[in-house]
Amino acid sequence: MLTRPTRCAMATACLASALWTSAACAQDDQQPGFMTGLWTRSNLLGGAGGVRSGLWNLGITIGVQDVNEVWGNVTGGVQRGASYDGVTLLSVGLDTQRAFGWEGGTFNVSAWNIRGRNIATDNLLNLQTPSGFLAADTTRLWEVWYQQSFLDGRIDVKLGQQSLDQEFMTSQGSSMFLNTVMGWPMLPSADLYAGGPAYPLSSLGVRLRTQPGYGITTLLGVFADNPPGGPFNDDGQLRGSTLWGGNFNLRTGALVIGEIQYTMNQPGNGDVVHGATASRLPGTYKLGFWYDSGPFPDQQFDNTGLSLADPASTGIALTQWNNFSIYGVADQMIWRPSEDSPRSVSVFARLMGAPGDRNLINFSVNAGITLKAPFEGRDNDTVGVGFGIAQVSGGAQAFDRSVAFFSGAFNPVRTTETFIEVTYQYTVAPWWQVQPDFQYVFNPGGGILNPNQPTQRIGNEAIFGLRNTITF
Amino acid sequence: MQYSSFLAMACLTITMTAQAAEPKGFLDDVRRHSLATSTVPANGDQNPYAVVVAPVSVGRIQAGDVLIDNFNDRNNLQGLGSTIVTWRPATKQLSLFAAIPRNLPQCPGGVGLTTAMTMLKSGWVIVGSLPSQDGTTKTKGQGCLIVLDANGNVAGTITGPNINGPWGNMAVIDNGATATLFVSNTGFDVGPPGDQPPVVNKATVLRLELSMAGGKPPVVTRQTVIGSGFGEQADKDVFIIGPTGLALGKGGVLYVSDALSNRIAAIPDAATRGDSAGTGRDVTKDGLLKRPLAMTMAPNGHLLVTNGLNGQVVEIDPETGSQIAARWVDTNKAQSPPGSGDLFGLVMTPSGDGFYYVEDEVNTLVLAH
Repeated sequence: MLTRPTRCAMATACLASALWTSAACAQDDQQPGFMTGLWTRSNLLGGAGGVRSGLWNLGITIGVQDVNEVWGNVTGGVQRGASYDGVTLLSVGLDTQRAFGWEGGTFNVSAWNIRGRNIATDNLLNLQTPSGFLAADTTRLWEVWYQQSFLDGRIDVKLGQQSLDQEFMTSQGSSMFLNTVMGWPMLPSADLYAGGPAYPLSSLGVRLRTQPGYGITTLLGVFADNPPGGPFNDDGQLRGSTLWGGNFNLRTGALVIGEIQYTMNQPGNGDVVHGATASRLPGTYKLGFWYDSGPFPDQQFDNTGLSLADPASTGIALTQWNNFSIYGVADQMIWRPSEDSPRSVSVFARLMGAPGDRNLINFSVNAGITLKAPFEGRDNDTVGVGFGIAQVSGGAQAFDRSVAFFSGAFNPVRTTETFIEVTYQYTVAPWWQVQPDFQYVFNPGGGILNPNQPTQRIGNEAIFGLRNTITF
Repeated sequence: MQYSSFLAMACLTITMTAQAAEPKGFLDDVRRHSLATSTVPANGDQNPYAVVVAPVSVGRIQAGDVLIDNFNDRNNLQGLGSTIVTWRPATKQLSLFAAIPRNLPQCPGGVGLTTAMTMLKSGWVIVGSLPSQDGTTKTKGQGCLIVLDANGNVAGTITGPNINGPWGNMAVIDNGATATLFVSNTGFDVGPPGDQPPVVNKATVLRLELSMAGGKPPVVTRQTVIGSGFGEQADKDVFIIGPTGLALGKGGVLYVSDALSNRIAAIPDAATRGDSAGTGRDVTKDGLLKRPLAMTMAPNGHLLVTNGLNGQVVEIDPETGSQIAARWVDTNKAQSPPGSGDLFGLVMTPSGDGFYYVEDEVNTLVLAH
């Protein structure tokens, strides 16, 4: 039945007065309250009273994510105890298409506030630290880059200050775990200057990505290799402008990194399917390398050829004039009850190696298994069990033996450090995750001495943690 | 070999070769997917649903403009979107066409614009509303059809006992001064979403005969329920599931995408029949279909249907019921399977060389051609 609407005769008055509205007009302007849709929206603040959509239409997106953690070790370490740490990430993006009609451009700037204690340096002294957010207490600039895509996104170039852990060596399965090396792996964390351009650091550089089709993606980048700009054995995150992320160092060496990725059983736009076929389980496989042209200190010898542990040594390590590594990453779903089921089981593994003469770690691996939607009605939860192994290099082991030889004191040879992690990511709402976590570290530091009890190694560490993540 | 036999063999070979070289379907000639525009208007409404190509130039609309409505508001609450935007291919500009008041006295329960929308040659735009107050069917209203003039002003509403949650893509026979409109209704007795809300077999396909005599807004001259008993179900993720795509084919057959039964149904004599065909006859079922949603008719007489449970468009020959192929048009991995629950709007380009579709998760209009 067609009926004519009753027009709001008071519309003009409504616009003229922010404080007074007629009942009829109030209906038009009525917005649901803050609590409406709270548990289903992706951000705690939703549209933020129209601010988010207003900025979106200007091409601007703002993201704020807050992470708070508590960690405690009940066994092992140099001492036992619990501590708090937290970070807040602020990121601002600009889509140049929406902002001023320039197609394919994205500008991004982000910053961290990092706070609290670092249980790894306070209590644990292990290599594979329990949380990827543990870092020097500061507020710092992180990434500043511009990305331009071409040919409908098949090629894109990113220029500026970049954190490599966002694109290189990534593993979808590994990323839900909390241990540091489940994010940016152990080997580059130990073997690159200051752990490489990865959280909370970043480096100037350029990255080219191509997606030629057939499930293949290639990444190739050249970056400054030393974000803080100090000597190799002093990452100096608290030094000068490095403290706030303003040291754009270009004076050490070039870090070239490349990766080829192959995704299988994952559709691409335009793929045509003839006939209903059972879908196969998706997987992603990556092979990569990095090469660093900078100088690296030898693990065993000084610049005169003597052992660094020799009392006659100059104490200045022999310079090795480059460094390199190769790596592989695999993510593979291995089971799901049906294609449209939220439940699935996936496995992942990352392996990498580097020369043993100039690196503390010459091999590292981390791997695990995850179960998504482990319980009925918990579609967005994930439970995982994983492990990581860090192999101390032959050069570093030879140094340990030399220390024992020359000092005559007890000095164990470092070997491997292994941890296992069990974690449950509980999604309270799309914007709120709570994640209890347990880790057990075997042979912390590869078997280093306990500085509080120099006749003993650091005992194995049982660590409990809880992470709370809120996206505003 | 006799000459006649040789000739027959040669003809057969040529015929087979020609058949082999011929594209199997419309989708085989679609090569590119180009982002046309984001669809969010200034008020932040989200979740683009219906897509309509303007048949005429009138008022603020030019022939070929693409009209897109939004089902969600700026907080991404479903059933609260109240805007229609237009995208002009010639200038690639997006503009707001209509911002409908959230509460129209004649539309019970508010306004939440659905996949039911059309523009008539007479310039009137008719859009369905299935409203909510909290983004779920818990507060669902009965809804209505809203009539807009070509400048985006509300000119009237269409309500009544046969209209409850007008939801699916509209099919239209447009004669200028009169028109016949087909719309599905998925709101009858649908309750709140829970863990396992019941399937209610009360969704209908309604035929409305309209008169626009003297340039006046459409007046319903007759209404007939021509399909009934289709499944409808509240859903916590996608609000409601029910018959969504309607497309007219040869011989007055109306095709219906029956989402919950995972099939395409045919209602014969849709423009003339005086009774309900029930849930129609099966054209095709299952196979490549994964909860069929939006539907349109390609120039070759084949149906194009989007899937609700993945990011594919399926091509179907309605004469034979054969499913020719499916093409991935949305591989957004934020959903599993990719593109699930994204593809609610689908319409052919005016030249018939491609189709527009919306990806509601990322608020975009895409051109496949």
